[in-house]
Amino acid sequence: MAVAISNYVGLSAVMFFIGVAGVLLRRNPLVMLMSIELMFNSANLLFIAFARAWVANAGQIFAFLIITVAAAEAAIGLAIVVATFRDEKNVDVDQVRLLKG
Amino acid sequence: MMATHHVMGVTGAYPMLVTLWLLPLAGAVLCWAFGPQLRGLAGWLASGAIAASFVLTVASWASGTQSAGGALGAHQYLFSWMPGFDFGLLLDPLSLLWTLIITGVGFLIHFYSIGYMHGDRAFARFFAYMNFFVFAMLTLVLSDNFAGLLVGWGLVGLASYFLIGFWFERRTAVAAARKAFVINVAGDVGIMFAIFLIVANVHSTAFGDAFAASGTLSSGLLFAICVALFIGAAAKSAQIPLHTWLPDAMEGPTPVSALIHAATMVTAGVYLIARCAPLWSANSDAQLLVGTIGGLTALVGAILGCVQWDIKRILAYSTMSQIGYMIMGVGVGAYEGGVAHFFTHAFFKAQLFLGAGIIIHNLANEQDVRRMGGLIKRMPFAFVAILTGVLSICGTPGFSGFFSKDRVIYGALQHGHPWLYAVGILTAGITAYYMFRLLFITFWGEYRGSVDPSDLGIRHPELSGVVDPDAGAGHAKEPADRAHHAEHAPAWIMSVPVGILIVPTVLIGWLMFGGDTSPWNGFFASSFPSAALATPAISELATSGVVLLLVIGGFGIAWWRYGTREAAANAVERLRNESVRMPAILTHLFYIDAAIDLICVRTSQLLGQFFGRLVDPLVVDGTVREAAFGARWLGVLVQSLETGLVRAYALVLALGAACFIAYYALAVAR
Repeated sequence: MAVAISNYVGLSAVMFFIGVAGVLLRRNPLVMLMSIELMFNSANLLFIAFARAWVANAGQIFAFLIITVAAAEAAIGLAIVVATFRDEKNVDVDQVRLLKG
Repeated sequence: MMATHHVMGVTGAYPMLVTLWLLPLAGAVLCWAFGPQLRGLAGWLASGAIAASFVLTVASWASGTQSAGGALGAHQYLFSWMPGFDFGLLLDPLSLLWTLIITGVGFLIHFYSIGYMHGDRAFARFFAYMNFFVFAMLTLVLSDNFAGLLVGWGLVGLASYFLIGFWFERRTAVAAARKAFVINVAGDVGIMFAIFLIVANVHSTAFGDAFAASGTLSSGLLFAICVALFIGAAAKSAQIPLHTWLPDAMEGPTPVSALIHAATMVTAGVYLIARCAPLWSANSDAQLLVGTIGGLTALVGAILGCVQWDIKRILAYSTMSQIGYMIMGVGVGAYEGGVAHFFTHAFFKAQLFLGAGIIIHNLANEQDVRRMGGLIKRMPFAFVAILTGVLSICGTPGFSGFFSKDRVIYGALQHGHPWLYAVGILTAGITAYYMFRLLFITFWGEYRGSVDPSDLGIRHPELSGVVDPDAGAGHAKEPADRAHHAEHAPAWIMSVPVGILIVPTVLIGWLMFGGDTSPWNGFFASSFPSAALATPAISELATSGVVLLLVIGGFGIAWWRYGTREAAANAVERLRNESVRMPAILTHLFYIDAAIDLICVRTSQLLGQFFGRLVDPLVVDGTVREAAFGARWLGVLVQSLETGLVRAYALVLALGAACFIAYYALAVAR
């Protein structure tokens, strides 16, 4: 028996807001990257749920694309973190203020 | 755009028209490019180019340009600068006459210059400029439309600038050249505005289209076009109040004065008005204005000619006065008369200048007549040349000036301008006085070159306070480096052109003898619009008699003051008294220069200072400065938002997204 679509939507929303809270509240860049992954995956969950509910397979393909983009984004994000650590010996995002105007 | 272009009723063709137009340009380019290699040959090359041009012009007359039923003439289409705006060459009786003078008299003066300019450091440059001038003048008179005319108009001004400032080591020459150029450009702008008006209303620059439409234009518009054209004509032809550059232009070499500032360029205004005769004939206000200014210029030029001491300046004021006659003639509608006076004037004035050039050349560049005297024994040929010129310009019966001048004077009466008629007669008397004054002071008595200049009343121009040393006035002397060159050119080179010019100076007027049946009127039979002529109470013969009486009177006064045995004996004292006692208004030339200085130059300077000291630093620079300051201030304001705190940026992003979501959520809910 199928799970109602509203359960998927609710779970996805909870995951997304956990991700948002993680990005906004944590100061460790690794945790922030993980939170961003969480937001990506909430979106993936929605895509797949709706694809299954409406029998539209394009949503599944989108999920694969998002996984790919997320991997690339994680690679870049980790590279920035490593480079920042080499430069500053510190990865606290509140301490690193290279973008200050 | 009009589909068909009027070419002034000319249907003939003359294949050599383009060649005769471009030959002087080729000569100019050759002299310019290969001057150092050509050396003395430059003069012969340049003269040859003009001579060939002249021969081709004469040949055009014989070679069947007489079209069936149409007027004498030829038209040559060259190119179109915009659809509907064609440029072509037009040879009709009017431009043919001018072309004959430009190339014919031009050739004689080029030839004369080979002798006059002999030994000058810039011999080839001189001939390049002279040839360039002839090309520019031919462009002016041969163009079949107003735009081409304006191109030629501007180019002759440029050539005039080059040649007045030919001896550019002299500050006075440079100042005179600049003054001539600026005043001429003011005239160019006038013509440009006339062209704007014509194009806006007729949609063509071709002469034929404009004249064909002259009947349909409103009289106010026609008057505006005529006034704008006349500003150009007045600047080029030295009419009051734009005449002040002409006497200063005598800073150029004497052949230049003869060719450009007497025979050809300064008569371009006469050409313009004669060319635009249909416009003037259609507007009596314009005729009155131009006729009046012409008459006034004739009178003022003659009066100022009486008080000059520089031989070339006397001739310059006489040129101004004679052009006043021509402008008066073409202005009131006596087109044949005004053009006739141009024709004879070109010969006798060129001759007077070239005769004066012989004197100046032989006296090591002395130009002050007070330091001459008794030259009849030393230079009998120059005396004959100047005497015939003087007799002709005074209107002695039988000489060429007699026929043309009486036509202009009587034409003014026939066209209903008795005041201009009276001014013309009076001016003829004054002309006789100042020309014979020149003749007697120069040739009578004893040579005064060795007399101390201060005994003759000659004050150093800078000390006298009369002449601003930078204004281009004063006692023009040609540069010392060519005053004593080792070998002189053979004298015949300068004598032959003058000798040739004597013939037309004396005889050419007979072309105009016989009134309406004369060859002159036959030549121009279909060129000018005819007007209903009044039959004045005074006959032409009586007018000639009155003019002759006044001329004899002028001669008599000149004889009494300078010519008698007693006057010649006391010449030094008399000249000194006349110089010292001359009224200030005359030495200041009626303060016209000062008035122009006050009205135009000073106000322009004030305006410039206003803009330079207030508007530019405060308004223009201020705007830029304030814009930069404002941008900087805005930057400082926005800078505080850039904290560099990544989580703050993320918060803003999240809030923005939240707003977005909230908006759609509400929109969907509703």
